Amino acid sequence: MSALLFVLLIVMLVMVWYLSFTATRLDRLHHRVETSWGNLDAALKTRSALALEIARSNLVDPATSMLLLAAAHVAVVAEQSERADAEEELSQLLLSLLEEKALDSDGEIFRELNSARDRLRIAITLHLEAVSRTQAQRKRPIVRIFRLAGRAPLPVKYPFEEIQV
Amino acid sequence: MAPQNRKLRIGMVSPYGWDLPGGVQAHIQDLALYCMEKGHEVSVLAPVMDDDHLPSWVQSSGRPVSIPYNGAVARVAFGPVANRRVRKWIQEGDFDLLHLHEPAIPSLSLLACWAAEGPLVGTFHVSAPKQRAIYAVGPILEPAIEKLHARIAVSQTARGTLTEHLETDAVVIPNGINVDAFANGGITEEFGNRAIGFVGRFDEPRKGLAILLDSCERLVEQGVEFCLVVAGPGDSSSFLEGMSARLRERTHFLGRVTDARKREILRSVALYVAPNTGGESFGIILAEALAAGAPVIASDLPAFRDVLEDGRAGVLFPNEDSQRLAEIIEKVLNDNERRSLLKEIGRERARDFDWSVVGESIFDVYRLVSATGEKVRLGSELRFNRVGRNP
Repeated sequence: MSALLFVLLIVMLVMVWYLSFTATRLDRLHHRVETSWGNLDAALKTRSALALEIARSNLVDPATSMLLLAAAHVAVVAEQSERADAEEELSQLLLSLLEEKALDSDGEIFRELNSARDRLRIAITLHLEAVSRTQAQRKRPIVRIFRLAGRAPLPVKYPFEEIQV
Repeated sequence: MAPQNRKLRIGMVSPYGWDLPGGVQAHIQDLALYCMEKGHEVSVLAPVMDDDHLPSWVQSSGRPVSIPYNGAVARVAFGPVANRRVRKWIQEGDFDLLHLHEPAIPSLSLLACWAAEGPLVGTFHVSAPKQRAIYAVGPILEPAIEKLHARIAVSQTARGTLTEHLETDAVVIPNGINVDAFANGGITEEFGNRAIGFVGRFDEPRKGLAILLDSCERLVEQGVEFCLVVAGPGDSSSFLEGMSARLRERTHFLGRVTDARKREILRSVALYVAPNTGGESFGIILAEALAAGAPVIASDLPAFRDVLEDGRAGVLFPNEDSQRLAEIIEKVLNDNERRSLLKEIGRERARDFDWSVVGESIFDVYRLVSATGEKVRLGSELRFNRVGRNP
């Protein structure tokens, strides 16, 4: 009898430990998503700032200037709900401008823009990975039944993260 | 003062691809032909997809590029190659004046406006909703727009856009049409004498075909005799699916038609209906329908109100109200006297849009800005000259 109680106690303890372990893991993942989004956000803002600087710099032709100004400005002032579209538009614009050689690759500022785009690509990869892992964990029955995620919002992916930048 | 009738060398700039369909390009072509007919010399600079079959008076600035702009995709020209060609064209052209179309669009006309100095004329075609980025692009546009000696808007609507966005005013000169070509075209019997016409890219929602179809369904239910002729490029399958069988058998989707065929259709229908729901700056098709002698029923958009003189030269219905439209169609279709009256007034109104009138108005502007005899030249301080030096 006491042996059975003992086993039950052990099982309970293991379960409690496992729940707390999973909760901690999930918390860490949520934290990672927050950090990676912070990095991504900063990388996007750097890109817009550089685009605006180039547009105002007299280093490109006025039509290119105007396209850059319009797209970067919209990305900077966009509300959260419009942000994804605006950033996607800026990505596409930069790609077309580079293809047309409208952005001269010699100047210091253009090198900065290129490394900003490289950093942005890495930031996107890291963020997407964090989001996928968190989403996968949150789908597990144990997480849903015991509400281990608490009130943390479910992280989502934005379409603009999936395209080439 | 230069003599009033001296022959001018005119440079025109198109922001959009010359060999792509579009109202702006069509306008430039007609205007260029009109000017040459009057004995002036014209050179047009435009982005071109395919250099073959290019008239001798059109110069290519390179291929147009599709680019996201203001929430849509625009096919424009920019970059160092285009910029260099614009300058070369200005330098070698020895022009008496430059006519820049849509200089507020990031394309060739803006480049030319930055690069040139001297007698510059700008025409604004589009009436756009306020651009999200207008404050940001102001520093680029304002100095360019300031250089234009004369600004032309193609309609009051386009002028309103200009005053609101760029805080500058413009002379209104409508788009031109060749009235005689529409007034004397052939007539076809194939659609009977109770045909309702619609011309345009019907699968664009703002062209309003859905509203016209809704009205036609009502007419079918009421047993009104008619047939519907829809001409223009687009995918008709989704519309055909949504139609009742009885309407489907009275409807002809003709697809894209030639200019001659379009004139024939406009000459042969009993009614022309323009149910557009918005986004129209001018409505050249209304002027063409009037010239062809088709009684016109149109939605009461500001641009259409102007062309139809608030309902004198055609019948207006409340925008997007298919029930009212159905009532009006039935009434006008059954009233032969009213139709011939509309025909008569419409033809007279269409004269205002004939190239002989419109071209003369544009020439008044040309004469004013070129009166000093000053030539067009490259700006003395090219702000963007570093681009030119780099390979």
